[in-house]
Amino acid sequence: MSIMPYILYLYLLGFHVTIFSDVSSIYGVTIDLAALMVCLVAIYKSELTALWFALAAAIVVGATRLEMMPWELLFLGILAVTVRHLSLRVNLESLASRLLLLAGGILFHKLAVSLAVSSAGFFMMLYRYIIPGVFYTWVLGWVYFMYRDGRITWTKFKALF
Amino acid sequence: MTGIRTVFGRNRRLLAYILAGAFLMSIIFSPNFIRPLAGDVAGLFILYPFSELRNYIVDLQGVAEENRRLRNALTEVTTQLSAMAEARRENQRLREFLGFDPPENSRVVPVKIVSMGHQLYPVSALINKGSNDSIRIDQPVINRFGLAGKIKEVMPDFATVQLLTDPSNAVSGRAAESRQLGIVRFSPVRGMYFDNLPADADIAAGDLIITSGLGGIYPAGLTVAVVDSVYVERGEILKEVFLKPAVNLNEIDELYVLFKEPQ
Repeated sequence: MSIMPYILYLYLLGFHVTIFSDVSSIYGVTIDLAALMVCLVAIYKSELTALWFALAAAIVVGATRLEMMPWELLFLGILAVTVRHLSLRVNLESLASRLLLLAGGILFHKLAVSLAVSSAGFFMMLYRYIIPGVFYTWVLGWVYFMYRDGRITWTKFKALF
Repeated sequence: MTGIRTVFGRNRRLLAYILAGAFLMSIIFSPNFIRPLAGDVAGLFILYPFSELRNYIVDLQGVAEENRRLRNALTEVTTQLSAMAEARRENQRLREFLGFDPPENSRVVPVKIVSMGHQLYPVSALINKGSNDSIRIDQPVINRFGLAGKIKEVMPDFATVQLLTDPSNAVSGRAAESRQLGIVRFSPVRGMYFDNLPADADIAAGDLIITSGLGGIYPAGLTVAVVDSVYVERGEILKEVFLKPAVNLNEIDELYVLFKEPQ
């Protein structure tokens, strides 16, 4: 296993945490890139790779809020292992099953982190931030799957214009 | 050693879970050492470059904002400076006017020019006082240098001044020294000139032309112009006398309407 791509993923996550999260937020709804990346690694890579990448991603995400670091470690670790195990039981050739897996994983992470922070105003948070955030991240994952499957290519993108 | 390797090799998954669990426990139960250390490592090696980049971008945004604020402040200061400079010039003009004596039995009312009427050169001026301020048609209008024109039209709050440069405006004048009478006229081609002066009239460049008081509009003694040049054609009965107006009508700012005081 080459470690280099994962270090780049972590830098991408660091860039998102420090700069891009604010820039890409829409009315406070942000992309949960950590959950997305952990899900993607879990879907395409091995269980241990997903687990260690999840822990590293949790440390990067938690570095900005130390009190959340244990929760991030726990939730992202559980997410990585669960998604990996589920991905072995579904047909990964199907885009729908991958998207379902992704949506479930992101929803789990968003919900768990939100509840760990505070349960006050949970339902308001759910409708105002969590579900839109899950959808926002899920769309990004969907675009990634489409690109990976060759359904979206640079040539097709250019042809739009 | 080989045995340990074999056990761990067979149970890599278990070992990974044990290590992950131990790491999680250390993070949970060492909030003052392991957790900050992990945060520091991640912060230093991964987040720090981006945080520096972010700070740089924020600074740049701050600079742009400050630049915009300073530009606005500069515009305000420039406007204030212009207003102050204008006030200084007005103050200077008013100081000069303090030494200006209106003709006998008359008083002056200062007026401001609202707009100028041009026909290549200024021919009229709209002033900010009218019949509500007792301005009447044919009242002389002067400034500190001399005669500028007369009131031609009056509205309630405004009035039009017919300047000396209007060709239809003629002023009965007199050479201050030789007392020669003539008519001050303006022609777009010839400029201001002193008309109806006999060829043998005693007049020379530099002589002052003042109002004669004839005609009943202008009081006698108002400065009108200075003789610029004098020509006499052989066989002509009149002299050609070109004048330089005392009032530079291109630069007039404040004017004063002359009121005759009852004797």
